[in-house]
Amino acid sequence: MEERFIIDLWVNNRFGVLNRITGLYSKRGYNIETIHAGPTDVPGVTKIEIVSTGDDYMRTQVISQLEKLYDIRKVDLRTEFKED
Amino acid sequence: MRLKGAQILIEELVKQGVDTVFGYPGGAVLDIYDELYKNSDRINHIITAHEQGACHAADGYARASGKTGVVIATSGPGATNLVTGIANANLDSVPLVAITGNVSVNALGRDSFQEVDIVGITQPVVKHNFMVRSVQELEQTIKEAFLIANSGRKGPVLIDIPKNVQTDMCEYGIAVVPRMPDKPKVPYVKSEVLEAIKNCHRPFIYCGGGVIASGAEKEVLELSHRLDAPVGLSMMGRTALPDSYEYNLGMCGMHGQYAATKAQAECDLMLAIGVRFSDRATGDIGEYTRKCTVIHIDIDKAEFGKNVSPDFCLQGDIKGILQDLLKDIQGVRHKEWRDEVEEFKKTRIPDRPGEFCPKNIIETVRKHTKDDTVVATDVGQHQMWTVQFYDFEQPKTLLTSGGLGTMGYGLGAAIGGCIGSGRKRTVLFTSEGSFGMNLNELCTVVSQELPITVVILDNTVLGMVRQWQGIFYEGRYSQTSLGRKTNFSALADAFGSKGYSVSTLEELEKVLEETDADPAGSFVIDCHISEDEKVLPMIPPGKSIKSIILRD
Repeated sequence: MEERFIIDLWVNNRFGVLNRITGLYSKRGYNIETIHAGPTDVPGVTKIEIVSTGDDYMRTQVISQLEKLYDIRKVDLRTEFKED
Repeated sequence: MRLKGAQILIEELVKQGVDTVFGYPGGAVLDIYDELYKNSDRINHIITAHEQGACHAADGYARASGKTGVVIATSGPGATNLVTGIANANLDSVPLVAITGNVSVNALGRDSFQEVDIVGITQPVVKHNFMVRSVQELEQTIKEAFLIANSGRKGPVLIDIPKNVQTDMCEYGIAVVPRMPDKPKVPYVKSEVLEAIKNCHRPFIYCGGGVIASGAEKEVLELSHRLDAPVGLSMMGRTALPDSYEYNLGMCGMHGQYAATKAQAECDLMLAIGVRFSDRATGDIGEYTRKCTVIHIDIDKAEFGKNVSPDFCLQGDIKGILQDLLKDIQGVRHKEWRDEVEEFKKTRIPDRPGEFCPKNIIETVRKHTKDDTVVATDVGQHQMWTVQFYDFEQPKTLLTSGGLGTMGYGLGAAIGGCIGSGRKRTVLFTSEGSFGMNLNELCTVVSQELPITVVILDNTVLGMVRQWQGIFYEGRYSQTSLGRKTNFSALADAFGSKGYSVSTLEELEKVLEETDADPAGSFVIDCHISEDEKVLPMIPPGKSIKSIILRD
């Protein structure tokens, strides 16, 4: 079932890291709807939030492929959206 | 100790245990090559004809020796020529470190002479890559590169080093030893796995390249003995078990042995070890695991559920997991299943005694090779014939492009494999199409005095594509009849190697006896076979064992 979901990433703040992440999505033909990035309290670590839509298979593939990237420290999946 | 960047690179390569590198010099790596010149007693550099050949050689060296392959190329075209080799290593999980030069940092992004963004270009086909922007990062980066290439699921890592980083000075020996970041693993309940194994009646072990990468050949053999389970191999898993083992059924999949693919389709429990379920191996994915429980053992979490949804996922180093499982697995016998498998084995492609056909050629060559002889292949029909008919007895003796299917891989790989196996006699099976792509490396074979025998299964056509055109495109042989008149025997002589042209098994036998008498020589044996030779059996793409084609 297609569902919207958010992936939170904590990544090493090195140039090119965003390329590696979006490359994983585009290689598989997955669309990114929203992307946010910003600093964290930990020096050298950036947090990135990515919103996209996909089924179970896509979600697990994206997460496990993202976890393999050397510059990614942590991957979290969120399915609830805060009402603004 | 204050050193130049290029010196740091050499010192760190030596520290990482590198004694052989492959490559090609150029403007942006002059400083590295100057240091290689001064350190030729510590690092042996093999100069090839083309960077692609160097990259395949580093790949073949890594597969044959189990060490990390290293290739060096200059910026721009040197770097782009590596791309195919890097992608090839990536799909076959080969540990490779590619080092490229680039223009100085202040010239980057200005379309300088021989500048390309090789980090951007290679990003989808590497395990990781680095651009070193200052000499202070260099030592640490090289350490990380070797760690990444060799840890977990192995793969290629590229380091791009701008020219000024090679000449800048900095303190060496201060970098910290990196460690791979901890990532969450898939948990599994051992007792449930053991229960599934205990309850099965028709077990089947499907074994892939991960078994060889993990060095778990003994454990798989023991598992097969204990469970009384036949073993089928993926192409990358070929050589994981000796062909003389009676329950090794051979390769599964599109061009696999009938018995292996049939047993895989009929089993009730599949232990899939170090495999990634390529479409060439599975065929119709809906049919593939319909009858069985799947236990998937792999080091790479992303493989679980990528192509096949397993019932149990065991993540980790295969050797460790199997050793742990074996502690609690008792020996059992499945007589009915064994009888059934013996029955499957009877369906075979008929022999053609005395004919100058691929099977007989490969078997004749095999009589002149040893169990530890490294065999490389290119890609196409001859590759399938080699994995079907050559009798492999030891791991790491087959160098073949599995995932990417790179025509032109073979000669470079044979060069690397020969050097990686202590410069012993190495055999390359190729065809005139694949060989034509990178035969320029014959000059490397000659200049390095490598004992390599090239056997060309020469059918004058692009055989594999032609076979598909024959079966699926009603015989419209578009651009696959080459009409080339290359005299490979004379070509070999021109390169300074020695060429032969043969058309019968007797001639081949005579040539092999002659070449055996010259253990240091390199040879090219052009074997003229029929253009209508087919690779059989064949399961059409996306189909199951039910659609198998067994005869012409």
